[in-house]
Amino acid sequence: MKLGIVDEYSDLGSLLHRWEPRCKLIGLMVLIFAFSFVRDLRMLLAMVVVTITIYIISKLPVSFILRRLRYPSFFLLVVVLILPFVSGQTIVMSIGPLDLRQEGLIAVLLVVTRFLSILTIGLILFGTAPFLTTIKAMRALGLPAILADMVLLSLRYLHEIGSDLQKMQTSMSLRGYKKHRFSTRALNVAAWLGGSILVRSYERSEWVYKAMILRGYGYAPTTRGEFQTNSRDVITLGVFLLIAIGFITGDILYGRGVAALLQ
Amino acid sequence: MHIPDGILPGPVTAAGYAATAVVTWYSVRKINQKENPRQDIPKASLLTAAFFVASWIHIPVPPTSVHLVLNGLLGAVLGYFAFPAILIGLFFQAVMFQHGGLTTLGVNAVIMGLPAIIAHYIFRIRRFGNQESRRKTGIFGFLSGAVAIGISVAMFVLILLTNIPADLDIGTERAALYTLAIAHLPLIAIEGVITLLLAVFLQRVRPRILDGV
Repeated sequence: MKLGIVDEYSDLGSLLHRWEPRCKLIGLMVLIFAFSFVRDLRMLLAMVVVTITIYIISKLPVSFILRRLRYPSFFLLVVVLILPFVSGQTIVMSIGPLDLRQEGLIAVLLVVTRFLSILTIGLILFGTAPFLTTIKAMRALGLPAILADMVLLSLRYLHEIGSDLQKMQTSMSLRGYKKHRFSTRALNVAAWLGGSILVRSYERSEWVYKAMILRGYGYAPTTRGEFQTNSRDVITLGVFLLIAIGFITGDILYGRGVAALLQ
Repeated sequence: MHIPDGILPGPVTAAGYAATAVVTWYSVRKINQKENPRQDIPKASLLTAAFFVASWIHIPVPPTSVHLVLNGLLGAVLGYFAFPAILIGLFFQAVMFQHGGLTTLGVNAVIMGLPAIIAHYIFRIRRFGNQESRRKTGIFGFLSGAVAIGISVAMFVLILLTNIPADLDIGTERAALYTLAIAHLPLIAIEGVITLLLAVFLQRVRPRILDGV
């Protein structure tokens, strides 16, 4: 499996690229959560407008998001195909033995719009700064050192271990192994393959630890003041927080959203 | 078995993050109580990456195939590092492959991570009594793998059906519950058997890995 790279356009010069990473992390995460609170259909339209506007400001190419939307969650697809036929009582149309229901269609609209908007803002968050910078910003905002170190080390070796697996699977194919039938042999082979990956990684971790100790791991001075916030960063953060508050307030003011429509 | 963004309402996603924060804090506290907590970080990190990669291995179950989850074995091997490891794996999946989601990261971490911690305790039972044998490792390996994925499936189905923004009648809800549970039974069996085989393989090749991080 090829690893998805999200920061390939992190060197563009948009307002969002220049935004101080800690402020960006807070602002966009709060907006993402505000989106997940939305239940009113009128607010969904506003959510789409805000998402598209932010995407345009980010200057990320359209192909960047399209590539990632090409394989939306299979699970979401199942929900979209099933919900309109099982949720609610108001029948809009009958297709053979299946009844298309209004409440189900509304639920699908809500789920799909929220999914696409949140996914897009998430891609903007991680696509407008180098991944390492975003992790450092998380660390600066209080992510425990153990977690930050684990994220960086796992990411560093993910590619190598992934390539090990690919090589082993190629070797298996060249030796005539076909994985099309379910059998106890298929289970055994999968276990040996997984086990070999774990053993190799365990052994590699012992050398990695020794190398890290030699380079002063755990004794290096912590860098302070890596991120500098200016008034423009704070104002941008304020604008995003206001937008997020606007969504939550709007959803409350417009009633109980889908819940009201379903009654 | 990851819940994507947009399905769950805001309060549930927020509760998921709160629960994840508590369990992560507890796990980090337990890790920091070790004599040299930094020593285990490279080991836990590389095994996190290895478990992430191992989950790409597919088992053919015609007409489709299932991929390994291995949260039971992950709990058995990584102990208190298991929850942070799962959180990191889910974060990578959400950011790199758009599987799962950023708002549902907390809920998904609880669904996969809490059973991993339970699996850690189940696997530890093999140390009681007589000397560790391959049979005991296999039995407790199977139990930790099957129980962990079984609890994950139950949590996933319950959270999903009780929070999906849809007006389902009781009959439909019950049918969906049974269908989802039955559909996952082969996965539970396969996961248990694979964990058994993996635990026995590790005991034969590198028993130190099973001693935990």
